[in-house]
Amino acid sequence: MIAAIVAQLGEWTAPVIDWHALAPELILVVGINLVLFIDLNIGEARKWAMATLTGFVLLAAFVPVVTLAVIGDASREMFDGRYVVDHYALILKAIFLLVAYVVVLMSQNELEEGGYYQGEFYVLMLCSVLGMVMMASSRDLVSIFVALELLSIPAYMMAAWRKRDVRSNEAGVKYYLLGVFASAVLLYGMSFLYGTTGSTKLVEIGEVLASGDLIAMQVVAIAFVIAGLAFKVSAVPFHSWAPDTYEGAPTPVTAFFSVASKAAGFVALMSLIFLAFPTATGVYQPLIWVLAVLTMTVGNVMALRQTNIVRMLAYSSVSQGGFILMPLAVAGTGDASQSAVRAVIVYLLIYAFMNLGAFAVVIAVSRKTRSGEITSFGGLFGYAPGMAAVMTIFMASLAGIPPLGGWIAKFNVFKTVIDAGSGAAYALAVIAAVNTVIAAAYYMRVLRQVWMMPAPDGDITPLATPAPVTAALGITAIGTLVLGVLPGLVLRFGDLQDLTGALGR
Amino acid sequence: MELLVFVIASGMVLVGAVGVVAMRNPVHSALGLVLTLFGVAVHFVAMEAHFLAAVQVIVYAGAIVVLFLFVIMLLGVDTAEDLSIEPVPIQRPLAVIIGVGTVVLVGTAVIRTRDTIARGPELEASGDSNIRLLARNLFSDQVLAFELTSVLFIVAVAGTVLMTRKQKRVAPDRDRVGS
Repeated sequence: MIAAIVAQLGEWTAPVIDWHALAPELILVVGINLVLFIDLNIGEARKWAMATLTGFVLLAAFVPVVTLAVIGDASREMFDGRYVVDHYALILKAIFLLVAYVVVLMSQNELEEGGYYQGEFYVLMLCSVLGMVMMASSRDLVSIFVALELLSIPAYMMAAWRKRDVRSNEAGVKYYLLGVFASAVLLYGMSFLYGTTGSTKLVEIGEVLASGDLIAMQVVAIAFVIAGLAFKVSAVPFHSWAPDTYEGAPTPVTAFFSVASKAAGFVALMSLIFLAFPTATGVYQPLIWVLAVLTMTVGNVMALRQTNIVRMLAYSSVSQGGFILMPLAVAGTGDASQSAVRAVIVYLLIYAFMNLGAFAVVIAVSRKTRSGEITSFGGLFGYAPGMAAVMTIFMASLAGIPPLGGWIAKFNVFKTVIDAGSGAAYALAVIAAVNTVIAAAYYMRVLRQVWMMPAPDGDITPLATPAPVTAALGITAIGTLVLGVLPGLVLRFGDLQDLTGALGR
Repeated sequence: MELLVFVIASGMVLVGAVGVVAMRNPVHSALGLVLTLFGVAVHFVAMEAHFLAAVQVIVYAGAIVVLFLFVIMLLGVDTAEDLSIEPVPIQRPLAVIIGVGTVVLVGTAVIRTRDTIARGPELEASGDSNIRLLARNLFSDQVLAFELTSVLFIVAVAGTVLMTRKQKRVAPDRDRVGS
């Protein structure tokens, strides 16, 4: 028996592992264990150090991303092309790490003052980030699924972090049940894909799908996979968990979900569409077209009626998701395929800045007002002009007003859709334009409170914003402004042929 | 013979699956799940995937369902639930329509696909070739996903401990943004 096993050892060749390319993931894994271990061994009084440590882990993971980008060789493939580190993956990894860093800054004081568990929170968040970083490089159904679970399962628990609040428990349970259901639908579709194409590798699936007419089961498979991921990006009609979860979860966690988890869902969607289904335009384009239209319209109409700022931002994030879906709905038509990837990535980056910023303002203001109502922002300009100014930046940017970042993001999306040049694309552009106007209404309503209304209870003591939140506000405000004024910084992504080249095989 | 095994195993899977949903008592539902998982194991044997069949029985039918039963009994929900309350009246008919629709959709797709699908390579019936293929796949092509799955265990352990532990201290005024 033993001899037989030893004899087989000769045939075994270990997979080639590019340690440099894997370094961000490895640093995160080490960091997860480090945070967990140190958290167990320090006293209650020094738990604040965990946030700092988590920040350093994220920065350390950022270093190899930067060095890989500086070296700049087109792409590093591992495991027979199942795990690819190219510019596309590096940009997304950078976005995820940056978002996580800002969320750590935002959550530090919330957790400390609320008396919540801190070390474990950061462990779970790092695990979630690991899943996202892995998702950016995954080019295989198995690793996409593992990455998706790795980023969602910690998120279910983070949603329920305020354990003594019923709404937070509800948020966690709802997110968990619907998330698991979505995973099951996704997995069902993936099993069909594997069964009918004989491979889990995205590129090979793409080749098989391109080689002939789609058979019925492949059509069902693609529809199921897209529906499963639509849950993750909270696209209508799969959005029903989002408002309740966003409202019930702690505010920094909501910011994390509405930016990072959503972006990870879009990354999976992009990898699948551009690598596995590029020829199945007849299936995914109409599907995503409908999703995009419903998402932006329903999200906007619901957002108009909200009086709670977090719920409003939740619906606004649903509706922004519709805009991010737009380029994917025309990804296979005309000249759009090249610019669609860029439009989505640029939107994700700018959306990350402005949405995180809006949540940071909400955290800073609600520390004083203890309220989540939009009316509680009344008189903000009077007692905190700086905060009013940054809130204006974020709201105006979310509404898409030039010269802020949100405008560039929306402009790119529209340009891609117009590039496609089909009738459906023009219809989509018109619907999106109408929606942009509707969206402006509820963002402006917040600004009206900030600038015109008096403080609701006449309380005009200045805000005491803690330093980490100020830092988060600074990073996001500068990001939103700079990307709006100097869009060349990110639009240059599109000139890197490998961004789309790597995807286009 | 092969057809007979297929029909019996599929019958087990379907009866078990319907049982999971239809049974009133959660313990019975869990037992229905055992039946389903055994049926899948029989399918694996019929397809020469002996290792998977063994794993299916040991891990799923053995460990996981036992865990289910444990939880059901610990939580004391081993009695029938009253399911007649209906908060949204349209829910149930809608669920039936969507369920039937999905079955018809997938069924039609399978029937139309029947002849066009390419057969995969035959597995060797004898020896341990199955395990070897699986191991090769797991430890070369999928090794990263396999290793990172272990991080999920950290998540599961840390999360379970946290979710079941009492909240450490209460600071009621500093609760949150809502309300």
